Amino acid sequence: MSSVKRWFVTTNHKDIGILYTITALFFLVLGGVLAMLMRVQLWSPGAGVLSAGAYNQAVSAHGLLMVFWFISPFAFGFANYLVPLQIGADDLAFPRLNAMSYWAYLFSGLLFIASFFQGGTFDGGWTMYAPLNLPTYMPNIGGTTVVLALIMFIAAVTMGSVNFLTTMYRMRAEGLRMRDLPMFSMSILLTVWMMLFAFAALLAALMILAAEHLFGVTYFSAEGGTLLWTHLFWFFGHPEVYIVFFPALGIMAECFQTFTGQRIVGRKWFVLAMVLVALQSFVVWMHHMFLTGINLEIKTLFMVTTIGISLPFDLMVFSLIYTMIKGRIRFTTPFLFSLGALILFIIGGITGVFLGAVVLDYEFRGTYWVVAHFHYVMVGGATGLFAGVYYWFPKMTGRMYDETLGKLHFALYFVGFNLLYFPLFVAWETPRRVFDYAPGLTSWHQVASIGGFVLGASFLVMFYNLFKSMAVGEEVGDNPWEYSTTAEWAVSSPPPLENFPGKPSYASGELSFRDEPELTADGSGDGKPVVSVSPRSDGGVASGASETSSGPRSDGGSVRTEGATAGGGTGLVGGTGTATPAAAGTATTHGEERHADHASFWPFVVCFAGFLTFLGVSGIRSGGVYPGLTAVGAVLSAVGFVGFANESFYVPEPTVAEQWPFGGVENMKLGMWTFLASDVVLFGGFVGSYLFLRVANGWMHWHHAFIPEAHVTFPGLVNTYLLLASSFAVVLSLVAAHRNSSRGVVASLTVTWLLGVGFLINKGMEWQHLFHISTEAFPNGWAVGTNVASSTFYLTTGLHGAHVIVGLVMLLYMIPRAWRGAYLDDDSSLEYFGLYWHFVDIVWLFLFPLFYIL
Amino acid sequence: MSRFKLYTGIFVVLMALSTTQALVERTGLVDFDAPGTYWTAFGVILALSFVKATFVATYYMHLRWEPRSVTYLFLGGLFVALALTTAAAYSIL
Repeated sequence: MSSVKRWFVTTNHKDIGILYTITALFFLVLGGVLAMLMRVQLWSPGAGVLSAGAYNQAVSAHGLLMVFWFISPFAFGFANYLVPLQIGADDLAFPRLNAMSYWAYLFSGLLFIASFFQGGTFDGGWTMYAPLNLPTYMPNIGGTTVVLALIMFIAAVTMGSVNFLTTMYRMRAEGLRMRDLPMFSMSILLTVWMMLFAFAALLAALMILAAEHLFGVTYFSAEGGTLLWTHLFWFFGHPEVYIVFFPALGIMAECFQTFTGQRIVGRKWFVLAMVLVALQSFVVWMHHMFLTGINLEIKTLFMVTTIGISLPFDLMVFSLIYTMIKGRIRFTTPFLFSLGALILFIIGGITGVFLGAVVLDYEFRGTYWVVAHFHYVMVGGATGLFAGVYYWFPKMTGRMYDETLGKLHFALYFVGFNLLYFPLFVAWETPRRVFDYAPGLTSWHQVASIGGFVLGASFLVMFYNLFKSMAVGEEVGDNPWEYSTTAEWAVSSPPPLENFPGKPSYASGELSFRDEPELTADGSGDGKPVVSVSPRSDGGVASGASETSSGPRSDGGSVRTEGATAGGGTGLVGGTGTATPAAAGTATTHGEERHADHASFWPFVVCFAGFLTFLGVSGIRSGGVYPGLTAVGAVLSAVGFVGFANESFYVPEPTVAEQWPFGGVENMKLGMWTFLASDVVLFGGFVGSYLFLRVANGWMHWHHAFIPEAHVTFPGLVNTYLLLASSFAVVLSLVAAHRNSSRGVVASLTVTWLLGVGFLINKGMEWQHLFHISTEAFPNGWAVGTNVASSTFYLTTGLHGAHVIVGLVMLLYMIPRAWRGAYLDDDSSLEYFGLYWHFVDIVWLFLFPLFYIL
Repeated sequence: MSRFKLYTGIFVVLMALSTTQALVERTGLVDFDAPGTYWTAFGVILALSFVKATFVATYYMHLRWEPRSVTYLFLGGLFVALALTTAAAYSIL
């Protein structure tokens, strides 16, 4: 396979991790150039190099690109590469889905870039506040494209979240308990949990916004609409702060452990504090809304929760500081970046407490105080991620970076960053998002601009260092760090395709590899450990010896090195070279060995098709090439999905693995349930928006003012009957499969399909009727954009209808397969489809009363 | 086949409860000019929806036979959605 082609077809987690990392760095440069333009503009108050519109676009695009297309994907480059290694898995649970997640991310970013060439990109700020985000104020096609790009990005995020959750719960090495996950993996686990729910809420907001642009629904221009946007956005946006920061925190914890030779002090409490923050992150969003019309009681409540969330962070900060005090520090580049991240985050955190207090927020809102605080937190997180670049560079490339250049990068970075952002606290009276400011603040802004360029230049050092080191850096063994303890350091650098020499196990308390093939026909995996290496399951003890020999460190500072360092810094994981050749990832099926697949072209095809489709849809109302693009994209999507579904792609599920608390729930089923949990939040966002707008417009008034007489209960009741009957038909297909009746399965699925089609026909007839009613109150019918009630009705039931259509397409694929006798031996596909279909049914059970009766 | 009987019984219950919801509407309890009766009907009708959803999730989606953690996963999503909706709506009351 040619080296270029390999990158288009790979599904291996390490390759995809590298693709994520490089792509994220590309978006860092793009967002950084936009930031440079802003700082040039701000050299003096008033007009400069950019027009007012161009400045708005630069501000918005910089924010969106950095928050969405740089920071999180950058962290997920590491997550992809390292989490399977750290937990002892061969790959993620769904490798093709992982590849699809990457390509969707890349193409969503390209969609964003395309928006610059469509008469201007999104210019309403990264928070995309209503009503500025509406087509009235943003008529450019580019504005719509950015909304669609974000939707595609969230598709990527959701695929990634489902994949990581399934992997981490179902594919951990034997003996690796959840509580013992290495710190980085633990941080990713909590991050993907937050992602799963937070991004679903943003998806709801963006789908509604896209519908405003494409179909003319009226949510955000209605009474209470602007407030609705802020609720939906910040319900996502606040957890996003921790989604961005947690991976950095995980890397910092790893680096602190490795470079102080000291286990994180109070590790258990550190992890508990992270869990608490992850939960609390969902109940603080309204502190972004203190200056809106929300009531005082709830402002007070959210002030309390916001101040409260700083407490677990205090614990983490003190734990890191105490780890340094107890350990012996090695000031390597990764450590310097970790320490820098801690310092920046402390400043960012303290200045954030000001904003969390209602009274102070009244003063600071909309000023550069917020800008400075926000960048101290977010770039503080990015600083931790750059620690990760240097920390894992030897693992990913097999070569060491140049330490002097690394330290130079840190020095320029840290000085540049503080020169850039600290003056903004002083110049806090600068209004946010506009380039004009009081002339008295000029010198502070000039210092900041100089800092900005120093910060930018520091990355030239980094890129030079990494490129040079990749070619001529000193070759390292498995582990260049003296006290690293996690499992990725126990394999060669870079790790082999199948990750481990044998099946990893922590059953003995430390990492060992079994030489038994992972999967045998009977699923047994009782091979004996063949080689024992030192990483502990919790990635915590900096010792090359076993747990019993590590002993307490009462001297408060020294670290155990016996048996670990004699080899000149590779002692911890020495010995892996003698391990038995890799046997993982194979299975014996009917006497033939079956290998795990690692390549598929279809994820790329599907996502490229998605790119064309979204680009076409963005301008479909303005004609030109756009309808054609949409059509080509749609056809290619269909080809891609069929190709994807028909491709034989074998991924073994580990039979010897820790699976608490989802033992007995196979990977695919857990993936489906996880996806449905996020879909609950998506529908929750839609239904919640309807309820919110109805409350804002007067619950009873809504019915009197906005609903026509012709909107009656009966069509909804008929559809309820149809869907319930279709659900019954799906469970009958399972019964038929149990009875080994192929005809029964075909008949049940066909009945399901017919009932689903009947549902759509009934809905279509009802909609046609409502569109064309002609009454005194609604002389032009009750169309999508007639009023807020019609908008919420058509869009929410429309989203549900789209789910039904997706289910019907799945059935069109399944029925012919059932005809050929599929599903009798293994009815799991029927069950997974049923989960989806019943869920769509459940949603309707609530839409029916809310939109038809009440 | 005991599951067949179970599934059928649940289907009958689900259809009956849906019909009940529509019947509650027919009785005139859903009166937008009389908040007292309206909110009673509101409670009854939504409670019936929750009962139906529980039946579908428990038996048709087999939660009854899965580890409890799967139910918690699903309820987690529901809790998040409800928290957003209720807190947002309360903020403007």
